[in-house]
Amino acid sequence: MATILIENLTKVYPPTPTYPQQVQALGGVSMSVTGNVFVAVLGPSGSGKTTLLNIVAGVEEPTAGAVRVVQDGVPAQVGYVFQEPRLLPWRSVLDNMLYVQNRKSDRSKREAEFYLSMVGLSDVAHLYPAQLSAGMQQRVGIARAFLVNPDVLLMDEPFSHMDALTGRSLRDYLQRIWAHTRKTALFVTHDVGEAVELADRILMLRPGGVVFDDIPVNLPRPRRPDDAAVHAVETEVLRRFDSMEAAVRFGDQRN
Amino acid sequence: MSYATDLPTTSEFGQVPGTPQGSPAEAVHWTRKPWFVNALAVAILLVVWQYLHSVNGRVPSIDEVVSFLGVELGGGSHGGVSRGEFWGPLSISLQRYAIGLAIGIPVGGLLGLLIGGSRRFRSVLNDTVLVLLVLPSVVWAFAASLWFGIGSTAPVVAVVLTAVPFMAVNLSSGIRGLDPGLALMSDAFRVPRLRRATHLLVGGALSNAVTGVRLAFMTSWNSLLIVEWFGTASGVGWRAKHWYDAQRFEGFVAWILLFVVFITLLDWLVLRRLEHRSTRWQQQPTLTFAEGEIA
Amino acid sequence: MAYDTSVTPDAVADLSAREIRRSVMGRWGLRAGVVIGWMAFIGVWYVFSGAVLGTQQLPPPHTVAAEVWQVVTGDGFGTTLWASLFRVIVGCTMALSASIVLGMVIAYSAWWRGLLGILTRFFVSIPTVALAILALILFGASGLGPMLTAALVATPYVMSSVAQGLTRVDRRLIVMSESFGRTRSQIITGVLLPSSVLAVIGGARQAFALAWRITLLTEVFASSDGVGFQIKRSFESYDVRGLLAWTALFIGLMFIFENFVFRQLERRAFGGAHVSLATAESTR
Ligand SMILES: Nc1ncnc2c1ncn2[C@@H]1O[C@H](COP(=O)(O)OP(=O)(O)OP(=O)(O)O)[C@@H](O)[C@H]1O
Ligand SMILES: [Mg+2]
Repeated sequence: MATILIENLTKVYPPTPTYPQQVQALGGVSMSVTGNVFVAVLGPSGSGKTTLLNIVAGVEEPTAGAVRVVQDGVPAQVGYVFQEPRLLPWRSVLDNMLYVQNRKSDRSKREAEFYLSMVGLSDVAHLYPAQLSAGMQQRVGIARAFLVNPDVLLMDEPFSHMDALTGRSLRDYLQRIWAHTRKTALFVTHDVGEAVELADRILMLRPGGVVFDDIPVNLPRPRRPDDAAVHAVETEVLRRFDSMEAAVRFGDQRN
Repeated sequence: MSYATDLPTTSEFGQVPGTPQGSPAEAVHWTRKPWFVNALAVAILLVVWQYLHSVNGRVPSIDEVVSFLGVELGGGSHGGVSRGEFWGPLSISLQRYAIGLAIGIPVGGLLGLLIGGSRRFRSVLNDTVLVLLVLPSVVWAFAASLWFGIGSTAPVVAVVLTAVPFMAVNLSSGIRGLDPGLALMSDAFRVPRLRRATHLLVGGALSNAVTGVRLAFMTSWNSLLIVEWFGTASGVGWRAKHWYDAQRFEGFVAWILLFVVFITLLDWLVLRRLEHRSTRWQQQPTLTFAEGEIA
Repeated sequence: MAYDTSVTPDAVADLSAREIRRSVMGRWGLRAGVVIGWMAFIGVWYVFSGAVLGTQQLPPPHTVAAEVWQVVTGDGFGTTLWASLFRVIVGCTMALSASIVLGMVIAYSAWWRGLLGILTRFFVSIPTVALAILALILFGASGLGPMLTAALVATPYVMSSVAQGLTRVDRRLIVMSESFGRTRSQIITGVLLPSSVLAVIGGARQAFALAWRITLLTEVFASSDGVGFQIKRSFESYDVRGLLAWTALFIGLMFIFENFVFRQLERRAFGGAHVSLATAESTR
């Protein structure tokens, strides 16, 4: 069983010649997630969502605080869908999949092809990334994250680059496979509807990287974006954002 | 044709790799056929040449040069003055060229890897490599022939010293231009080091490395000729100078033509093909002769 | 709230002070690297001069520095420099003007691109030393040769980088302009020229660097004054000291132009925004 344990995580970027002020991306985030939980991290642009995922993935060092991502006591295998597609432009789609495949076997190629077909891209396996649309590239990124058979799934606004229709059907698909595999998931988004539709729990960030709320979503699955219950939670989430904004604007300006 | 679609979609006057060629049924006007454009270019060059001949008596005419070439290549007698020589000077120069490049390209490549891969190495070595790059090759030619005399050492050293900075600068800028997000992605997926080296580093910097190789070939050929002209008594540069000193300008021009043919064949048959292959994945049209300097 | 998310401002300030120290130290480390690099360069020069080639063959750095001083303070330095600089400026201007016109032509006409492509490839593969000697045959030692050769050699390169700058112009802007019924000339002045200033400045920079090198080389053959001529004279009298001194002066001059003239031009064109990026890049 996978566990993500985050304690008082702080990230401050030092000033640079271009931007001579330090930036606090995360201001003491703490949380723990164990088992088959789908957590959405919801926050406006610049609130440190990407920074949080990068640190959890172990590709960035925190300024302070600690992160542990373990599966049965050993470091967990992470599948990361980045905010941009991040494909090697000089390798074909299929080779990009194989690039991250660490347990090589004679089935590697067939597995890669399977996950490509899952996102509807069987036909373009031999094209270069530049020959795909932005949404198609992002779907390769999603297939790639599943290919490594991750214990923990990290997703950074995976549907923001594609049209609403494709996004909707992929979201649907993600719900179904998640229900099937139930990997521990950390899903970053700025779309309230998306968060409510997918998550068991919504972590709300405000600029400065501070968690100001943590809402459980106890709705039966599969959920539809037009369910009344989903709507009700969305309204509640938005209300809490508004009151946070009011508090930041009119009183508590510290961060 | 609309203005926007008239913009080039070709990669260096050719087809963008990976895109289908226009359908064969589509008729191309004969003035747009490649053979016509090629022939026109050759005709323009010949007319300009003949014009220069007619206004300046020191410029040899086309047929003088052609008949001289025949004698020089065939080893015949130049009007009783001396015998034609071609393969001797050529093989000597090619040897120097090959040895120089065989040393210069790996050394430059190694420097490029260090400078591109590590900020520390970059801070230490970058200025030295830039000074080497800015130095005109005539200075190398002079210095090398003063140091090493008229043997083969000076031309080889000049070739090495010209090739090294071109290789180093191109490779290192290729490595530094790699998207850091890709390294991050590889970290996140725990991609092992060896695969990262072959797919990320080599894949990404290959086209720059090939460009560096191409420029090293082109520029060091020039350096070789300069050293041979000033400081040796053998090789193709020396042979061109021989005819120049004898005031046989048709001989001199004939040798220049040979230089051009040699480097053009090398470029078209080998170097450009390599470059084309290594940039196949790029969809952006490129129109340059690559970033680089000559002389 | 389920978690205590409060951080004291002091704690963050303390933590970030550490990060700042680390990054500043990194930057100083790199500056130290540059100094080490130059010291190594000069050290290797001393070693070669003292132990490998001999001080006669390769004078040590301080001797060359003294020679530079002598050349700069001696008579005729200004005349020599101006002779070369004048040729470079004229050659560079010719190359740049031709390149802007030809660059536009090849950027927007496939036919001319084909024709000029073949012609320029031909010129690019003539070794520059051959061009320099042809200039001597055609123009004698008049000084016209270096100028024209520089222009001729620089043009293909500058032309292609100008054309590349033009083709990088966002096509969507052109499509947009067409959809609003703008004319060809309106598109050229409204979209193409503003977005290709960068390419033209880059082209000027390239033209300048190339023109210097070619002028120098051609002066070696076909001139009786200028920096190239001085370099040849040093060579012919086995004067390595003079050769290296003039070379050092040449490199210094290139450095000055690159850092003062072209940086200033770019600053004008980009209203300062670009410059801070450039410095950020150079301190990294
Ligand atoms: N490498 C960096 N150097 C300096 N500052 C950075 C760096 N990366 C992020 N930041 C800053 O940290 C803050 C948070 O950035 P982050 O990318 O985590 O935001 P985000 O919530 O993912 O935003 P978005 O929704 O727009 O993707 C921003 O203010 C950003 O400017
Ligand atoms: Mg983000």
